[in-house]
Amino acid sequence: MATADDRRALSPAPGLHFSWLGLVGFGLALALLAVALVQARQFSLLREAVQTGDDYVVPMVFQAETEQLRLLDQWRQAVDERVPLDERALRLRYEIWVSRVDLLRGASTLRLIEAHSGYQQTLQQIEDFVAAADRALGPTPAIALERGFLGALLPDLEALTAPMHELSLGASHTVAEQMERRAVTVRQQNQLGLGLTVFLSLLTLAFAYTALRQVRQLRERRVVLEELAAKLRIARREAETASEAKSAFLANMSHEIRTPFHGLMGMLSLLRETGLTPRQIDYLRTATESADHLLALLNDILDMSQLESGRVALAVAPLDLRALLRDVEALMRPQASAKPLALHIDTDPAVPERILADATRLKQIIFNLLSNAIKFTDRGAVVLDVRTRDGSAGETEIVFEVTDTGVGMDEATLALLFNRFVQGDNSRSRRHGGTGLGLEISRNLARLMGGDIFARSRQGEGSCFTFRMPLRVPDDPALDEAARAPAGTPQTQHLQVLVAEDHPVNRQYMAALLETLGHEAHFSVNGEEAVQALQQRRYDVVLMDLHMPVLDGVQATRAIRALPDAALATVPIVALTADAFAETRERCLLAGMNDFLSKPVSPQKLAATLRRLFGTGAPAAVTEVLPPRQRAWGLGRALVDESAIAMALQAMPREKLATLVQAFLDQAPDTVQRLRAAVRDAQPLELRTNAHAAKGAALNLGMAGLAATAEALHEGAAYLPAHEIARLVQRFEDQLPATREAMVDLGVLRHSAQPAVTG
Amino acid sequence: MLKRPADDHCGDRDRRRFVQAGSALLLAAALPARALERPIGPVVLTVSGRVRTPNDGADAQFDMAMLATLPQTSFSTRTPWYAKARRFTGPLLRDVLAAAGAQGTLIRLTALNDYKVDMPYDDAQRHDVIVARLLDDKPMAVRDKGPLFVIYPFDARPELRGAVYYSRSAWQLRTIDVL
Repeated sequence: MATADDRRALSPAPGLHFSWLGLVGFGLALALLAVALVQARQFSLLREAVQTGDDYVVPMVFQAETEQLRLLDQWRQAVDERVPLDERALRLRYEIWVSRVDLLRGASTLRLIEAHSGYQQTLQQIEDFVAAADRALGPTPAIALERGFLGALLPDLEALTAPMHELSLGASHTVAEQMERRAVTVRQQNQLGLGLTVFLSLLTLAFAYTALRQVRQLRERRVVLEELAAKLRIARREAETASEAKSAFLANMSHEIRTPFHGLMGMLSLLRETGLTPRQIDYLRTATESADHLLALLNDILDMSQLESGRVALAVAPLDLRALLRDVEALMRPQASAKPLALHIDTDPAVPERILADATRLKQIIFNLLSNAIKFTDRGAVVLDVRTRDGSAGETEIVFEVTDTGVGMDEATLALLFNRFVQGDNSRSRRHGGTGLGLEISRNLARLMGGDIFARSRQGEGSCFTFRMPLRVPDDPALDEAARAPAGTPQTQHLQVLVAEDHPVNRQYMAALLETLGHEAHFSVNGEEAVQALQQRRYDVVLMDLHMPVLDGVQATRAIRALPDAALATVPIVALTADAFAETRERCLLAGMNDFLSKPVSPQKLAATLRRLFGTGAPAAVTEVLPPRQRAWGLGRALVDESAIAMALQAMPREKLATLVQAFLDQAPDTVQRLRAAVRDAQPLELRTNAHAAKGAALNLGMAGLAATAEALHEGAAYLPAHEIARLVQRFEDQLPATREAMVDLGVLRHSAQPAVTG
Repeated sequence: MLKRPADDHCGDRDRRRFVQAGSALLLAAALPARALERPIGPVVLTVSGRVRTPNDGADAQFDMAMLATLPQTSFSTRTPWYAKARRFTGPLLRDVLAAAGAQGTLIRLTALNDYKVDMPYDDAQRHDVIVARLLDDKPMAVRDKGPLFVIYPFDARPELRGAVYYSRSAWQLRTIDVL
């Protein structure tokens, strides 16, 4: 992106300028040092001159010479016979003279004039004279002072006059020379100082110029950098926009493709019912399998593009973990059973029953890990181990560990595992299908949840995938906010509710539920009837089952939303469905539904949903009762779900529930017959519709085992081999008596032998 | 470095100086009423000029004993006239002036050899200038630059170490003329 100019401005110049600046700075420092040295030298010179008092020597020697002449004069008077001898004056004069000549021997004097040739000799001469004169004139005279003595010494004193004059002159000259030398030195130093000052000035100018230039260049460089940054920002924005557009396009296309695709799949289902030859049925199954694969692919791509564009938000809510695991197991068991493969789900008792998580996404991850394990394992077992442990950050985390006895992976494959479009084994991918996006999606989702996924494996020895996430437990044991409302809140609103539901047991269940909540229930058995009913009278809300004959929930919703009467077209519609996949939910909301209720529908959930739609004035729900621990966990699954039964008992009296359960069980053989017929005639759509209806009713009534089998049938209808489906139908039938017994055990039904209690 | 020992005694000296200054003021205030006694021994110092308590005509004359009775100050200092630091003892110049009731702006010092030098009157007040009469605790003969030697405390005050103050240090002092 950077042009050649940018690069030139960016790279080599700064270093060069820094070195120039450094050089000039160094020169400046040196010059300053030199100036300091010169000044120090001058200072010491001056101090030396002052301290030694050299200049003082000349007058001192001159004084000595003067005193010499005065003493000589006094001496001559003393020798003169004509004047009286002034002994006191002579002694004083002599003493002064001694004190003066004594100074010539002083330390500083000596240093300055000792070079003078006659100096030592003169000093000796003076000393000799003082020694001689002191005999009469000294402090302790040995002889009396008399003219003869003085006369004898006069020539010696006179002889001193010339050398002392010499000394005086010599000192003058020496000091003059010294002063001259000092002057020369000072002058030289002054010149040096002047030169240094000029040099310093020049250097300062150079320094200022370089610094200024550099500041200017830095400014220019900053401007260039800012321009570059702006360009990069624009480029990034463009790239981001392009990327977003691509993601959006991908998401839209995935979605757009899915709509006709559902049509295609529906047509394939219908095609099956047109009396095909076994060979055509075989082709059709292959086509259906491919279509399912393609749909899964599209879903993955949609997920991925949404994850990438950051449009995935987690819907964290309290959820029943064991129920969720049960759902997963029900979904996965048929796949495992298709191979000689055991599927175990072991839940540690310490794992809380209710946790806070996004149920759909959690299910998606576990589903992905399990289906991968089953895909790549041909014999042995796949185990999902759920437990809690203390995480690294001091928080408790929940760990889902999926272990298989499958083909395993080598190191290289393991390293590439979470990368896009990489599958464990390319040669196997075609055989096993899959988009290769599954693990990446799962890991992204896990990270979104604050957790992660790790894998370890060894070639030929199976794999172990560990998914961990922070464990969050709802503060309130209640399932949702409805439970927090006080029990028996007066019902302020009486709603007219239209329930579109094809299954009679579900209709009765919903009737009981709505009655409990103080609403009036009306029913339609399919979508078309619902649309008609809506046009005949006014309803406050429509609860719409998704799977219905003639016109399903989504189509019915589209039809309602397309009604010309705005008041009718805007009626709130809530989806009722047994599957809680995000995709289903999305489909509902896209079709124009307002909310989404997954089965089993509890009074709390229904009340909360209605309150969301109708505000705080809507009736509050019955207080949530803590569900009793589930029992009858045979082989890790429950035939009955006590919590669901407890929920149902809140909605209706025991007798009513007994009636519904009895009705379901009584109709079950018919259901089995219809399922068998659908399998025999290879009519997956029929199979799915029946299985789905059975599942919804079974969930509502707490018959978890039957619900799981029905769900497996519903899910597997499209792709499972016929014998597998037949086996599931058989299992459904086999579970009926056991479920009846469990219901008797729980006290829902009076007695197994008793006929159904009506009313 | 050379200042150090002097600094150590600084407080001491300051205190003493303060006391002396106080006594000098007292003297200055008291003396005009009381005449200076007459010298008994040979006169060694004559203070002339603006003298308020003369004892000989217009002059105030001192013999060695009179100077010795004034408060004495001692210190060691290096000088240009001796190779080593020597110890000088004698009355403070300002005490001598006070004793003579002398007050002026300038002091002219005259030595035996007629050496003359002027000193601002203020010098005697600002510095502890002494009229030394003992060198290393011994009287000074004329040949030893005695008998009186005006000495500044050169070592205690480095700024005094210069030609001007050296020249004001008159030795063989004979007369102080207060102008």
